[in-house]
Amino acid sequence: MALLPILQLLEGYLGVAATRHQLITANMANIDTPGYHTQDIDFRSELHKVLDSDRGGLAPAVHSVPGLLQRPDGNDVNLDRESLLLAETQMQYQIGVQIMKSEFHRLLSAINEGK
Amino acid sequence: MGIFSTLEVSGSALAAERARAEVIAANMANSETTRTAQGGPFRRKVVVFSSAGASTFRLLLAGYNHLAGRSPGGVRLVQVAEDSAPPIVRYEPGHPDANESGFVAYPNINPIQEMADLMGAVRAYQLNASAVNASKMMLQQSLELLK
Repeated sequence: MALLPILQLLEGYLGVAATRHQLITANMANIDTPGYHTQDIDFRSELHKVLDSDRGGLAPAVHSVPGLLQRPDGNDVNLDRESLLLAETQMQYQIGVQIMKSEFHRLLSAINEGK
Repeated sequence: MGIFSTLEVSGSALAAERARAEVIAANMANSETTRTAQGGPFRRKVVVFSSAGASTFRLLLAGYNHLAGRSPGGVRLVQVAEDSAPPIVRYEPGHPDANESGFVAYPNINPIQEMADLMGAVRAYQLNASAVNASKMMLQQSLELLK
């Protein structure tokens, strides 16, 4: 039996959220590294990429974020931007996990009611 | 790329910022030190950070080898360098380390600069600690699925 399609969608969604979370933590880690540029992915296009292809394994397109104020040491990590995105990504991830959980509960109730 | 590796990334930043705070503390503690093992007054130390790529083992494991060059990793303390600024000389003829003309070379340390630097290190530490908390919460939420 194939995995429920919604679970497959959620898996892709969580993968993209986790990738973005990792980039944000890397940006935060390098807040004092001279010459470091803020890295990010485009959430929407990555999500489309994951959902359009059957399975994951595609490398995310990581790019430097343009338009950020650069400090004299060449570093352009913005603390407020990263903190905000960290909270946002965490919420997005939570949404995915909660929906997945409710899907499993639905499946479980279907199994239990059949007894 | 998994959430577990984000803990590693944030952890490297916590270690680097702690080392930076230690170096700053050493600078402040030695602001009047006129004798060192190398001779002469204490020289102000500065940390040099570099961004570290994600560990190759993990990348290979994940099949992301082609990303090795640009995948963002944590931060690494590459060097504790010495500030090249010349020492401050004060006229103290009675001091045991005074030269023939009565001048003593003191470390060139500005306490205000060190304090500002220390605050920066503490704030960066807090920021990364909150990132660890966020990663931890996401992991816990994923584990909730097993219940």
